[in-house]
Amino acid sequence: MKEVSIGKNDIFEQKPMKSPTDPIIDTFKSRESHICVKSGNLSLPQCDTPGTPGTVTQRTCVFGGARIVLMPITDALHLVHGPIGCASCTWDIRGSKSSGSKLYRHGCSSDLTEKDIIFGGERKLYDSIIDLHKLHDPGAIFVYATCVSGVIGDDIKSVCKQAEKITGCRVIPVESEGFQHHNKTKGHWIGCDALLDHVIGTSVHENPTKYDINIVGEFNVAGDLWGIRPLLSYLGLNIITAITGDSKIDDISKAHYAKLNIVQCQKSSNYLAKKMEKKYDIPSLKVNFFGISSTINSITEIVEFFDDDEMKMKAEVLITNMTKNLDEELEEYRQRLKNKTVALYAGGNKSWSLVRSFEELGMEVILSGTKNGMKEDYERIMGVVKEGTVVVDDANSDELMKLLKKYNPDLLISGAKEKYIALKLKIGFCDFNHDRISAFAGFKGFLEFAKEVDAAVSTNVWDTVKTPNFFLKNDQNCKS
Amino acid sequence: MSVNVSGRDRQVIINPLVTCMPMGAMWAVLGINRGIPLVQGSQGCSTFVRYHLARHFREPIEIAVSSFHESTAVFGGKKNLNISLKTIVQRQNPDLIGVVTTCSSEIIGDDVYGFVESNKEELKDLGHDNTEIIPINTPSFAGSHFVGYNKAVDALIKNLTVINENNEGDDNKINIIPGLLNPGDVNEIKHILDVMHVPYTILTDISETFNSPLNPKKQEHPYFGKGGTTVDEIRNISANKGTISITKYAKTGAETLEQTHKVPAVTDNLPPIGIKGTDDFIMTVNKLTKHDILDTLMTERGLTLDLMADVSARYLAGRKVVIFGDPTLVTGLTSFIIEIGMEPVMVTTGSEEKTFPTDIENMSKGQNIDVITEGDLKVVEDYVKDKDNGVELILGSSEARFINYDTGIPLVRFGFPVYDRVGYHSQPIVGYRGAKRVVEMITNEVLAKYYEEKHWKLQQ
Repeated sequence: MKEVSIGKNDIFEQKPMKSPTDPIIDTFKSRESHICVKSGNLSLPQCDTPGTPGTVTQRTCVFGGARIVLMPITDALHLVHGPIGCASCTWDIRGSKSSGSKLYRHGCSSDLTEKDIIFGGERKLYDSIIDLHKLHDPGAIFVYATCVSGVIGDDIKSVCKQAEKITGCRVIPVESEGFQHHNKTKGHWIGCDALLDHVIGTSVHENPTKYDINIVGEFNVAGDLWGIRPLLSYLGLNIITAITGDSKIDDISKAHYAKLNIVQCQKSSNYLAKKMEKKYDIPSLKVNFFGISSTINSITEIVEFFDDDEMKMKAEVLITNMTKNLDEELEEYRQRLKNKTVALYAGGNKSWSLVRSFEELGMEVILSGTKNGMKEDYERIMGVVKEGTVVVDDANSDELMKLLKKYNPDLLISGAKEKYIALKLKIGFCDFNHDRISAFAGFKGFLEFAKEVDAAVSTNVWDTVKTPNFFLKNDQNCKS
Repeated sequence: MSVNVSGRDRQVIINPLVTCMPMGAMWAVLGINRGIPLVQGSQGCSTFVRYHLARHFREPIEIAVSSFHESTAVFGGKKNLNISLKTIVQRQNPDLIGVVTTCSSEIIGDDVYGFVESNKEELKDLGHDNTEIIPINTPSFAGSHFVGYNKAVDALIKNLTVINENNEGDDNKINIIPGLLNPGDVNEIKHILDVMHVPYTILTDISETFNSPLNPKKQEHPYFGKGGTTVDEIRNISANKGTISITKYAKTGAETLEQTHKVPAVTDNLPPIGIKGTDDFIMTVNKLTKHDILDTLMTERGLTLDLMADVSARYLAGRKVVIFGDPTLVTGLTSFIIEIGMEPVMVTTGSEEKTFPTDIENMSKGQNIDVITEGDLKVVEDYVKDKDNGVELILGSSEARFINYDTGIPLVRFGFPVYDRVGYHSQPIVGYRGAKRVVEMITNEVLAKYYEEKHWKLQQ
């Protein structure tokens, strides 16, 4: 564990003005190396370090990371072993859709209180599991460790084991103490590990075929999976399960029969694909169904993997049909969006995978950043963005605001916490996180995407907001 | 007259109605002009609260965090707090930092009071002594978000308010502790006081910080919401004529002011939701300040009564209502629901408030009311879905929207969080005008659900 690296002298150091290498925005010296401008292949922001204490961070905790990976499993219950807040601020915030069970949308808590902190909360946890099993008979109960259960040393593993014995229901411990790490990606991995250790490979697939695949790292936010699934089905592929969008425990338990894992969100789930490759010898393919060319490339690569003539033919037909009228339908949006600028500040995956999508709309990505990016994420960003693009790691609220003010993009792509910062700066906003309403994946999704981006950028509201009013012209009458 | 009190009949909480203490404390600190909460805990403790508040208020919510990691759990949070305070004074230069503790910092035994004291010295030596730093103990496991709010307001008063022996304050100025009310509600309370020409200090005032205008000029940086109670105002509240705690569930600050500074406290009234609650509030203000109750308010009262008379018998009388939320909201709404002739059949708050069942009993006028302590949304769901209970209306937060989808029983959105309707937080439910709005909201839902298809002429 790296220690926090900022001392008294660092923060209060007087910075001499240096002209050629002036920082991109005014921030702490220790943060300057986290922000860079692409020039050649030299620059890469420093990343994956603990955040500066005292900033308004956009990051979250390891528990949040684990929860996000597992929450979309529709027939599972998610029990948070901690004080009520850990559950009440995080239930049903994923935006993942289900075609069946709604169990996953419940928020369950063992509700640790003062007494439990002293005497331990294992009994409460056990009773809670029994309650849940009685009430709902779920496919599985995931039990999440929190900061508190970690510090007081509750042995959730053995409680889960015991409860599983009594109930006959899968009770799966997720060792996700919130403070474990500065990077929530660690939480994603912990979530993946829970699936690898307790679910995947635990049941028998009755009718395996040679076209069985899993879609890994697709969480069906706003129904994205439903834009991808028909494309793959058309090719003759049999999807055992998505991990974890619109999935059921039973399906995930058969995931090890797949002949191929395709990985959509590589940030959270490449880890799982790699481990499955090692354990079950299942190769994986990185795909991206956001954007036209990315979707076409993904389909082509999948078809190449299976090397099947019929599938190749189908793919050609599919791509021709799906893209036939696309340019026409996009024309209106492209006219309005041409040369508009975008800032991306979202999860690792989107910061590179969306760049091409925006170029397909005629827009230019001028800033891209992530909250929890690692070196390979930034290398991928650098690989797709143009020269001069600002690349930022772990920008806190203050820095994000400064960057937005300085570069004044026409659009910010981010999540709910950043939304209102952008809007207060009169910058268009489009949600690409849990709160979005429309599915953006696949060809049809791209049209939806174009429509929403266009609405965010071109809405008349910005004209109204930016038109100076007669009584605001005179600054003296306008005290802010 | 009977109230049946029961508890949740299981250990596990399914779909919580409350969140933990720190959120309430952050809420209170965000009502300070140029104030910022600093969460002494893990990143999730600030991030999820920011998310929660942002989607309710649709505003930027700036909450700093000292970012606990594994090493902190071993070595303590002193270093994190030290760096955090320096970071904040240098970046935001706020007037006040509320250091909000969390479960992890409390369990590992961080002495935030000690840390803050030593840091103040250090910051002073470095030339930063214009920021007030207030430690607020909010161990998440020891209470709900409204307990956290109460503690924060009390901590602000204890740390900031100066002794005023000469009583040289504004004539007839009073203090108001609004509780977890929305901006629209706080504005309505201000309106009532303005009409009565009573000067006031709101402890704390989120009416603009959680509802800030889009500035046609350049947005100021760093971001602070507009308005809020200034630190200086809080320093001087000991000179004021009295303190009204809108809710008895957040009265500790008022009691502190009474004990330490001899400022009379009025803490046990109903919240000003509905006619009686508002009457009590206005009478209290009148008693404390001797300012007259003016016609404007009586006209507002009359308009609300007029609407109540118009619609009660026709559409509302006897309809069975379930109410859930924080105890302030639930006691206020229950009282008002009874006033408009509806029948509260079940109320729950999600926490164990000792006086809550008696409060409900005291306002009951012959109705049978089921009071479920430490309830959750599952309790509400089961109750509503039990056809024997005949529930016709649900009053509570957006979280109950599923019950509404499943049963078709209308949900009128009140409380926190309301994220799937706009405008809720900027309009009042308190005061006479707020009461009128409540009647309108409820009646319109009832009309849409129970009459629209059947009656060709609803106004008859």
